[in-house]
Amino acid sequence: MKKIITLTVLLSTVLFASIKIDATYSTLGAIAKKIGKDKVSITVLGSPKYDPHFIVPKPSLLSKLRRADLLIINGGGLELGWLPPLIRSANNPNIQNGAKGFLDISHFVPMIDVPTSVSRAFGDVHAQGNPHYSTDPHLVLTIANAIEQKLENLDANNATYYKQNLADFTKEWNGYLSKIDAKMATCKDKKVVQYHELFNYFLDRYDFKSYGTVEPLPGIAPSSKHTVKLINLIKQSGIKTILQDVYHEKKTARFIADKTGAKVVVIPHDMGAVGGTTLQEFYNNIADRLCR
Amino acid sequence: MKKKILLSFFVASSLFADAELDAIKEQLKQQKIITQRLEAKLSMLEKKQAKQQVKIETKKSVNTSASFSQNAYLPDIALILNMSALSRNISNNDYPNVEIPGFINKGDIHLPFNKDKGFNLNYAEVAMHSVVDPYFEAFANFHLHPDEFEIGEAYIQTTSLPYSLRLRAGKFKSHFGRINSKHQHSWHFDSQPIIYKALFGPDGISDPGVQLQWMAPTDTYLMFGAEAMQGTNERSFGESDKNNLYIGYIKSSVDVGDNLSILGGVSIAHGKNKTHHKTDIYGVDLTLREQLGSYNALIWQSEFLQRNKDLGNKTDKQAGLYSELIYQYNNNYSFGVRYDDITKNDTDLSAYGIDTSNLKRYTAMVEYKPFPMSRLRLSYSHDKTKVLDGKRKDIDKVMLSINIAAGAHGAHDY
Repeated sequence: MKKIITLTVLLSTVLFASIKIDATYSTLGAIAKKIGKDKVSITVLGSPKYDPHFIVPKPSLLSKLRRADLLIINGGGLELGWLPPLIRSANNPNIQNGAKGFLDISHFVPMIDVPTSVSRAFGDVHAQGNPHYSTDPHLVLTIANAIEQKLENLDANNATYYKQNLADFTKEWNGYLSKIDAKMATCKDKKVVQYHELFNYFLDRYDFKSYGTVEPLPGIAPSSKHTVKLINLIKQSGIKTILQDVYHEKKTARFIADKTGAKVVVIPHDMGAVGGTTLQEFYNNIADRLCR
Repeated sequence: MKKKILLSFFVASSLFADAELDAIKEQLKQQKIITQRLEAKLSMLEKKQAKQQVKIETKKSVNTSASFSQNAYLPDIALILNMSALSRNISNNDYPNVEIPGFINKGDIHLPFNKDKGFNLNYAEVAMHSVVDPYFEAFANFHLHPDEFEIGEAYIQTTSLPYSLRLRAGKFKSHFGRINSKHQHSWHFDSQPIIYKALFGPDGISDPGVQLQWMAPTDTYLMFGAEAMQGTNERSFGESDKNNLYIGYIKSSVDVGDNLSILGGVSIAHGKNKTHHKTDIYGVDLTLREQLGSYNALIWQSEFLQRNKDLGNKTDKQAGLYSELIYQYNNNYSFGVRYDDITKNDTDLSAYGIDTSNLKRYTAMVEYKPFPMSRLRLSYSHDKTKVLDGKRKDIDKVMLSINIAAGAHGAHDY
């Protein structure tokens, strides 16, 4: 009897030892797994199938948030439209904004496209800058570092474990970066337009130039006037690639492609959006599709 | 001899040439690897430098804010405007006199929204939210009608209670049922469901009180809530000796696959009415949401409410339901239909002297949202629940409403 009790106590402590991490998006979750490995369990709240700005705040997400030890958010306003009411109703003091178990990755990333003035007259602009940084493979280690710091902070007993995982991952990722950089260096056609400014971090990293967006303003559905303008721009500038994401309507991009001869390429905005279950597959997907 | 030397010389030179070629190839290969490594190192260093620069810059920046400035602590403030243009087959003078048999008597109908044929400014609402301190956050809705100021809601709630508990205190909309806690501007239709209007009036159950919610430690969403409220709502409660209203509910939700979520709840409200006898209201609600894409969904939401109102000599038993189906076509357009029905009206209706059965309403709407913060909605309703001057009066209404939320307005609940 005593043995059984000790065993259950032991087992339950082992079970408890796993840190429950909720990540708002899949790429962040995958990076956290690289650092936490067996010591963490990861739940991704927002499916990569959907627009990251408008994840449906299903009540089932509340039970996931309720038991989380750590909530990792993308930040930069990306979760503003769905996460705050969930946090409010999850009744979990650990993951409140400012609590120990709350990690906003955007606080560690040098943001680009920071607007000099902000008004909703410009559509859904984020005052903090473009929040879609996870498409840049060179920021993965920055994110990994932030997560490692947080995990050390939350679970000091396993600090060396996380440090070692980070060191291993850093080595692995630097190796991967030289590969993807070499691949992208062979890329010649660097002119694109995109549906929404989702891929600016990747495009900036590899010296692509984004000439415009299919949507007239961030978060505003395409208009015929703007589409005509864009068609002319594509023709004038000799742009051959239209970057489409998985969740917006594809009709407009196809129409523009028909009129201009440019090609519509679906680019994943988050890990798993077009298949692929690892970080490398995610970035390879972007690279392969951009650099045909 | 000479020949031999010449030959060996020749062979050596050709051999030498081959070896040289290989060596150069090998060198080139290694150079490439070195270049790659250097590039990687360079980009790393550049990043590091950039980081350091950011650090230095942040260190360098001096405090330029005014000495006692508190701007950083300003609450989120939003302005919510709601207005309409409508046409209806009943005059503005007659409309306040309509009755709902068994529920609302002549002159008792309270019509804060969309009252007049022609144009209506329903409200300008100032909504505020702010974190108070590490323990509380505060919400307030200042509801401004054209000639009335009302504190719609003003409450604080805890953010850091243990054991998945949350406590709320102040004036708030009860979480009884599905639609009660939601603000009018977040409903799928402009008009309140008939059964809510009949049992509670336009504000629903909204009172000063306290609320405690607890979420069970289960993988499935399971939430229990209890509320003690003042019970000022005279349609169902209203005994004023002391606070008289107690509410309890259980809500649960399951996901079926990735795209279908089902939310259900049962609620009970137990209070005392103006005759000092008890009123019990039971509610059941069910919402199904099938997500067809990021901006594309099918939502089916229904609620059934029953009221048992003890009046001393008798107990009135009345019930009703609404069921609505919304198709969100894309980020701009939605379509919806709703059916309202009074299913039980077990009270003394003899004074009417007419057939008061079949109290129903049908509503349809088309919604256009240019942007998530603004909305235009065209709706038509055929209302068969009303009586005017002792006769049934079916009301047809066509309405175009505009709602905007400007400023820092937080996202809505599910």
